[in-house]
Amino acid sequence: MKRIVGIAIPLIIICIISGAALTASHDLTKGRIEMVEQEKINESLSIVFPGASFTETDDYYSAAMGGEEIGYAFIAEGKGYSGTIKTMVGLYPNGTISRIYVISQSETPGLGTRIAEPDFTNQFKGKRIGDVRLRQDGGVIDAITGATISSRAITDTARERAEVVMNETTR
Amino acid sequence: MKQLDELTKGVFKYNPIFYLVLGLCPLLAVSTRVDNALGMSLGVFFVLVSSNVIISLFRHWIPSQVRIPCFIVVIASFVTIVELFMHGYAPELHERLGIYLPLIVVNCIILGRAEAFASKKPVFDSFLDAIGMSIGFTLGIVGIALCREALSTGKIAIFGYTIIPTFTPSPSVMMLLPPGAFLTIGVIMALINYRSIRKEGR
Repeated sequence: MKRIVGIAIPLIIICIISGAALTASHDLTKGRIEMVEQEKINESLSIVFPGASFTETDDYYSAAMGGEEIGYAFIAEGKGYSGTIKTMVGLYPNGTISRIYVISQSETPGLGTRIAEPDFTNQFKGKRIGDVRLRQDGGVIDAITGATISSRAITDTARERAEVVMNETTR
Repeated sequence: MKQLDELTKGVFKYNPIFYLVLGLCPLLAVSTRVDNALGMSLGVFFVLVSSNVIISLFRHWIPSQVRIPCFIVVIASFVTIVELFMHGYAPELHERLGIYLPLIVVNCIILGRAEAFASKKPVFDSFLDAIGMSIGFTLGIVGIALCREALSTGKIAIFGYTIIPTFTPSPSVMMLLPPGAFLTIGVIMALINYRSIRKEGR
């Protein structure tokens, strides 16, 4: 019994100390991390609807310019080839895409990461929701060679979320 | 003089990557770009030095039956601290390192040094050992990243500044993918072994 206590106590003390250290660094960095994350969202919002002001609703951001609503922005999240891809999508009320912007992804460097580059994302500009599919799936988006899974993930999640938001806003 | 040995042995004689062959998981994954390799090295440096010092400080006091859990708790705490601060103050780097940052916890170099060195040796020696091993790791991972980035993108850019433009006219994507990492490590290791065998033989 005494032996077990002698073994357990140092381990318990180490756990308590590291718990305290972690709590302290969590508190220290919490505000900063939230700011960084919010900044990322703000930045992507101003890319999909440049110059607009945004109001957040439960599911999407409503973009307005000069007091008039010009569209909706929302985050589409889906599983890519090696992790979650988070995309900001701008949608006009008539059901066409204004722009998309990749907020975060962890795809294969040099292949899948090219989904975040303008060459790929510019294809979405002005496309109708229903057409937002890869060409081999019957749509109008060209997949990146060697990164079909990443391309399909971003295209499909953007379309699916756009359909949901479209339904909500037209109701 | 002996203490200087503790520092330099990690860099050359017992290089963690090419001699001890430890920490290959982050090495394979993060050596795609020199930027990422440097960021990873920074994380490993901080965690290795802090955990080696703390473990060496408490070495008489940690019961040997539970030493591994104790080491892991200490290492994991430092890794989490690095992750939190990197997320707040270097968000881009944090994003690029992704899952490999928390995976420093299971980087065998760190647990290996805690078990083989810091738990037996005085604090200052452990400190030097950690610095040497970190430099060794940095040399290895940055070296491999230099080869892979040059061959896969055709240039080397560090933090946005192009250091060597158009290194090769026909870059190969394969060097960016896992086979490229294995090939690079294999070739470098073969060269090092060839050299040391020749040295011994003659």
